[in-house]
Amino acid sequence: MKRTLEILNELEREGAFSRYAIGGAMAATFYTEPVLTFDLDVFVVLSRGTGQLISLAPVYEALRARGYGEEKQTVMIEGVPVQFLPAYNALVEEALDQAREIDYEGVPARVLRAEHLIAISLQTGRTKDRARVAMLREQASLDLNLLADILKRHQLEEKWKLWKE
Amino acid sequence: MEALEGVSAEVARIFAAKHQRRQDLARLPYPEKVQAVIELQKLAATILRTRGKVVKPWSASSPRRVFDRTGI
Repeated sequence: MKRTLEILNELEREGAFSRYAIGGAMAATFYTEPVLTFDLDVFVVLSRGTGQLISLAPVYEALRARGYGEEKQTVMIEGVPVQFLPAYNALVEEALDQAREIDYEGVPARVLRAEHLIAISLQTGRTKDRARVAMLREQASLDLNLLADILKRHQLEEKWKLWKE
Repeated sequence: MEALEGVSAEVARIFAAKHQRRQDLARLPYPEKVQAVIELQKLAATILRTRGKVVKPWSASSPRRVFDRTGI
């Protein structure tokens, strides 16, 4: 995965997107025991020119130019299928903005904070999101003040109470 | 870990040990967890293949030392 992250850093430097962070199961795994997944979810803030629609096309083009092709909804980058997800709402934008800087075997990268992963899971609401929230609650060192603030601002407090029962 | 009602002391001890092991796994360095995920993918791929579903484990390589510690 080290080489995959190097490629993501190159794409960010070159402006294919303005910022990225690992999300989904591989972000959760940063804070919990390893969880089975087959994709690396990468949230991106897309660079947008005046009057242009937000599109992942420039990201795919930049990757194709490097020889990385699309496979179903992912792009295989150095042996890792990467699923790019544009920041699709205010919560994800905030999560990307406040993502945690990490060092992966000498390569800088970003991972969404555990508190934002919980909020995004609550918002998405699938069965696997419920399991992810349970695991993060049990194993991650959470900043409960930060989590309360995020849940309040994004109107997720009620769902949090329900899922905690 | 939540208290479990109606289980014997022996079973409670096993559950506690499993809980502790999961906490230990959560504390591993991230690159080691990534390698553990790849090993889980290999195990899952074998099982899924028997059901006709083809999935591909990541080919990203890292040191194998994690398995001595995690047993995955």
